[in-house]
Amino acid sequence: MTNTPTNSFEWVWFIAQKYSELFIRGTWITLVVSVIGTLTGFLLGYAVGMIEDVSISKDDHPVKRCILGALKAAAKVYVELFRGTPMIVQAMIVFYGLRQSGFEIDSISAGILVTLLNTGAYMSETVRAGIKSIDPGQREGALALGMSPVSAMFHIILPQAFKNIVPEMANMFLTNLKMTSVLNVIGVQELFLQAKTAGGTYYKYLESYLVIAIIYLVLCFVFSRIFTLVEKKMANKKDYVLAIEYMENTQ
Amino acid sequence: MKDTSIIRVEELGKSFGEHQVLRKIDFSVEKGECVCILGSSGSGKSTLLRCINQLETQTCGKIYFHGQELGRKQKEINTYRSKVGMVFQSFNLFNNMTVLQNCMEGTRRVLHLPKEEAHSRAITNLKSVGMAPFINAYPAQLSGGQKQRVAIARGLCMNPEVLLFDEPTSALDPEMVGDVLNVMKSLAKENLTMLIVTHEMDFARDVSSRVLFMDRGYIVEDVPPEEFFTAPKHPRAKEFLSRFIAG
Repeated sequence: MTNTPTNSFEWVWFIAQKYSELFIRGTWITLVVSVIGTLTGFLLGYAVGMIEDVSISKDDHPVKRCILGALKAAAKVYVELFRGTPMIVQAMIVFYGLRQSGFEIDSISAGILVTLLNTGAYMSETVRAGIKSIDPGQREGALALGMSPVSAMFHIILPQAFKNIVPEMANMFLTNLKMTSVLNVIGVQELFLQAKTAGGTYYKYLESYLVIAIIYLVLCFVFSRIFTLVEKKMANKKDYVLAIEYMENTQ
Repeated sequence: MKDTSIIRVEELGKSFGEHQVLRKIDFSVEKGECVCILGSSGSGKSTLLRCINQLETQTCGKIYFHGQELGRKQKEINTYRSKVGMVFQSFNLFNNMTVLQNCMEGTRRVLHLPKEEAHSRAITNLKSVGMAPFINAYPAQLSGGQKQRVAIARGLCMNPEVLLFDEPTSALDPEMVGDVLNVMKSLAKENLTMLIVTHEMDFARDVSSRVLFMDRGYIVEDVPPEEFFTAPKHPRAKEFLSRFIAG
């Protein structure tokens, strides 16, 4: 490096180049944590949302009723806990809690775990609302054919609910992409922590954070485009092909 | 006396909280019968049909299918429902599936028929209701009358022993009612056992083999249509018919 940067713009460029490895690594870890955490969180959210939606019937076997009751209570407690506390606090408690109880968990795994638990809690409410938004007639139509309530849920209701909550899922992923920044408190080397490191040497924090702001912005822009495409692909088609081979000849 | 009925309802009652919707319902349906259930709104017709299909659980009383009391086990109810089809006022076609998929869902998932057989059954039944050209359409792309004809075909694909109709034409505009009623007429001619809640008086008079008239949760008349339409006994039935004739 021969010429030293003279203004903030040049410093941004300078830091971006000099610490490109850090930023690339940070981007990678941010993506890994948010993608894995969000996807597994979705699965958990679907499971919890469905448990919350099940109603216990008087005709069920007592054992089944007990298990369902316990699951529903656990789901409620879980959702309240994780929606009622900040993610940064959850990260600390999960990470240090596990370590102190003897689990040698690394910070990335802990970060993924926190993201997944947090996503699951919010997602479960979205799923529950998604299921509720489907006309009860859809379920009745399935039951009337002799389908079991579980089968009706998986083959008729969930596919329709899924379509309705895709925008909310996209939203949640974008939120997570940015929320992983709080995981720096447990030492996950995602973008935020890398910016802190990169800024330290030259005492150029503003410029360093500008670099990651741009990276976050680009990531979010790209993903939101992808989600828009997915949504368009899933949208109801307006036209259909008439099966002329089955047209009746009217003479 | 031997019980030859397909469905027999005994002392059936249903209340929603304090509100008693069905009281002491007793009747049976024989094979090949086309029974119309008439009555003013709120008399319990739809609830009765929904109890027979077990979409509502009765508060008291029993339902017999081929003389066997229907149990409360989910598996038993599923099997029973696969033999007793239902057509709804609001069609309830699966919105995420095409017409063809709608007609194959039950035969594939419940009856576990091979794909080819499920497909040919679907086409045969869709042809019989005149909807075969629309196999690739989604429900949202069809008119009400078309949807209802598909829903009937979907029910028929299961080869049901009984088909229940819950006000099948009430959500349709007048022009489309005829199409659906024609389909139902031809089913009656083929001696499919049907139990129909309806407000279509002409249909009840011309097609049904029996009329049940309900009032405030009771069945107050259970007679052949000729008798019901010419000489109703119960005062409520007289009132009901006089309004129908005047209108």
